[in-house]
Amino acid sequence: MSNIRVEGISLRFRIYHDRSPSLKDYVARIFERNRPSRFSDFWAVRDVSFEICAGDRVGIVGHNGAGKSTLLKALCRVYEPTEGNISIAGRLAPLLEIGAGFHPEFTGRENIYLNGSILGYSKLEIRSIESEVISFAEVEEFIDTPVKYYSTGMYMRLAFSLATAMQPDILVLDEVFAGGDANFMTKAKVRMQSLINKANIMIMVSHDHILLQSLCNRVLWLDHGRLVADGTPDDVIGRYLTGKR
Amino acid sequence: MRSAATVIFCSELYGSRSVLQQLIAQQLILRYRRTLLGYLWTFINPFMMMSVMAVVFSALFKADLKTFAVFLFAGMIPWNFFSSVVTQSGTSFINNEGLIKKIYLPKIIFPLSIAIALLIDSALSFAALFLIIIALGGSLSWSLLFLPISFLLLFLFAMGFGLIMSVATVYFRDLQHVILIAMQGLFFLTPILYKQDALAGKIAALVALNPITPFIALFRMPLIEAAVPSAHLFAQATTIATTTIAVGLFIFIRQEKQIVFRL
Repeated sequence: MSNIRVEGISLRFRIYHDRSPSLKDYVARIFERNRPSRFSDFWAVRDVSFEICAGDRVGIVGHNGAGKSTLLKALCRVYEPTEGNISIAGRLAPLLEIGAGFHPEFTGRENIYLNGSILGYSKLEIRSIESEVISFAEVEEFIDTPVKYYSTGMYMRLAFSLATAMQPDILVLDEVFAGGDANFMTKAKVRMQSLINKANIMIMVSHDHILLQSLCNRVLWLDHGRLVADGTPDDVIGRYLTGKR
Repeated sequence: MRSAATVIFCSELYGSRSVLQQLIAQQLILRYRRTLLGYLWTFINPFMMMSVMAVVFSALFKADLKTFAVFLFAGMIPWNFFSSVVTQSGTSFINNEGLIKKIYLPKIIFPLSIAIALLIDSALSFAALFLIIIALGGSLSWSLLFLPISFLLLFLFAMGFGLIMSVATVYFRDLQHVILIAMQGLFFLTPILYKQDALAGKIAALVALNPITPFIALFRMPLIEAAVPSAHLFAQATTIATTTIAVGLFIFIRQEKQIVFRL
């Protein structure tokens, strides 16, 4: 049974006002202790706690810069929380940036192996999904061509097919997307839906409220890094849209 | 607590072995992709460069070309490995910023893949060197069996240094340029073009302090003098190598989680 427990996490980012500190600045600072600091702290996520249990379909809403993506990245371990704790049980699939780690010089097939291993698939698993990924992406003719010659659509189709080829326990989505033509979009939506249905837990960030209402059974509202509401989709989205906490 | 962290570190590294393998392959394949001679360039490139140096410097030092060539190559190959590992590891996190900010991977795989790919390159350069030695009428001795140990110690030393540089460069970007110049200077302070005992005075003391000097000797002894390195030299190199890798890993593990915030 998958489970996610988030206990009072905060994420601090340090914003440097001029540029990244050079070695010279660092040495100089040792001698002038009273100089005003050159950076300020920014809390992207502030004291957020929640627990997600098996079967939950959680949507996250909030304005731009509210910390939604940062929170997802913390769940995926990209950022270590400055404070607080996250404990996760279950295999988590990060579908944050589809196509991250594709190498333009590599052929489609080589990228399946490269990107597949980055996504955490074992070699054996990749071998077993390889042909299905290629046929779903409809890139059979170009699979041994470097992906830098791919059209944007082909590139997106391959990346999408690969990222969605394995069923994770916990599915994390940042704005569901589907590239390609209308025909592929329909196929992709069906595939996405089946991933969501079979996942033990699903967490997604989206600005599409209708989509959230149809997919989720629970919605979190983040505002300036703080969790301001946690409840049923209709209730939380309604309050978010009217601005009522 | 510390040992628990080490266990997690090792198990995550083992879990990412297929990514590591892919990154190494990427390093090795991409460089010469779509070139006519392909991977052969790995042989040709160092071979040509070292040949030019051998001809120029043997004329300059009025040395016998054949013996000087083998002497020079035996020093150049470990030096090139060390200097490439250190300079390339330095930018390994910066160059993979896109990946590091999007997906969780044990970050050590970036400098580690660079070092392993370069190790494979170096081993191939050595294969080329053996061919040269045979072609020049030299003979190979049993003492060459010591070379894998030389490689292991050099690898640990270079990797430790590379880890320190990879972390430090994230904080101080100037280092990626500083290190290139420093390596140029260090090259001349390392007995590669000359014999260590040919020096005298202050320079000799400086070269003796250079931590790379014993590693070069570890390669030269078996190749040039057909002798197994002395216990003293071996102990010296082992101490330097294990200390460097320990310091490198310590700094790396302490800073690993902070790197993503500084990219």
